[in-house]
Amino acid sequence: MALLKQLPRWVLGAALLVAFDLAGRSLSATFALPVPGPVLGMILLLLALMLYGRVPTGLARVSERILRLLVLIFLPASVGVFFVRDLSGGDWFALIVAMVIGTLISFAVTALLLQRLIQPTQRRSTPGSHLGEGQHNGE
Amino acid sequence: MGSEVKLWLEQLTQVSEAFLQPLSTTHPLVIMPLNILAFWLGLKLYRRTGTPLLHPVVGASLLVFAGLWLMQVDFSGYRQGSGLLYLLLGPAVVALAIPLKQNLATVRRAGWPLMLGLLVGAILAPLVAVIIAALLGGSRTVIIALTTKSVTTPVALALAQELHGIQSLAAGVVAFTGIVGAVGGPSLLRLLGISDERIVGFSLGINAHAIGTVRALEVSALCGAFSALAMGLCGALTALLLPVFATL
Repeated sequence: MALLKQLPRWVLGAALLVAFDLAGRSLSATFALPVPGPVLGMILLLLALMLYGRVPTGLARVSERILRLLVLIFLPASVGVFFVRDLSGGDWFALIVAMVIGTLISFAVTALLLQRLIQPTQRRSTPGSHLGEGQHNGE
Repeated sequence: MGSEVKLWLEQLTQVSEAFLQPLSTTHPLVIMPLNILAFWLGLKLYRRTGTPLLHPVVGASLLVFAGLWLMQVDFSGYRQGSGLLYLLLGPAVVALAIPLKQNLATVRRAGWPLMLGLLVGAILAPLVAVIIAALLGGSRTVIIALTTKSVTTPVALALAQELHGIQSLAAGVVAFTGIVGAVGGPSLLRLLGISDERIVGFSLGINAHAIGTVRALEVSALCGAFSALAMGLCGALTALLLPVFATL
């Protein structure tokens, strides 16, 4: 009985996800936007949820399930790595070094930059008080 | 407007028709259990060992590849059998809006510094890789494939077509970048003394897109929300900027 009550909610949640996916794709195709359809669908759903004020139960449950299966859903894309063959040895070397070192460098730089930007209050207080002290001594 | 819906319905019938085909090694009833089994085993292995090197993305894809090799199935055959998963790709990306909505207040409080970090990250990630590859004498094809590295696969495939790169190579670069970022990123940040879940999530989203978001969701819902936000915005930004840069 409880399951029967839950079912329409689940179906509604899944239907909403598909509907927003399709809406995003249509919008992207109609206006020839460079942003891919599903990403646009995600932004549309976020806007809709902000207007609605809360997340419907069914949608929350279905999303939780689908996000837990994300690794499975992206599996065909990940497996693609093993099927790339048509490159010379030198190209392979350049490619792999660029991917490993490049990703780690940009990862560290973005994180360090974000850390500085997100906690500016701590940094501001130290030079501020130092400056005040200097002025006081000068007078 | 209706053409995309028609396209989707066509894809849906293709997937259901594939189930009615005579049984072969590329049949969905062979490929899908392989996918699910690899995913399940990959997850078990990861939980048992606990090292990020054996993240399910790595373990499961290796297991699938081993299975395909044993059955002598090529990539196009595998893709055909995995049609159901391709159909779920769009709704899964859309579903990322939910953790985003649930953590919106925290995201808002971080505000403009995040947007600045995003802009720098979105430009830096492909730029660093391209410079390294160019210094090592990589060919034009390699360099074009690398420019798409920090966006999700569907975006990369569309971009590679526009920039005349090799699509399969772009897909490979995207997946490998995601794995490097998801596996090495959080440990690297721990070494740098950064433990703020917002920053870890945002960096994962910018540099390791969907695979990074999977990793971020394991840390916490908040971390996942920041990663999903960064991935969405970074994908949009790269998709907008890259064609402009390429024509210069």
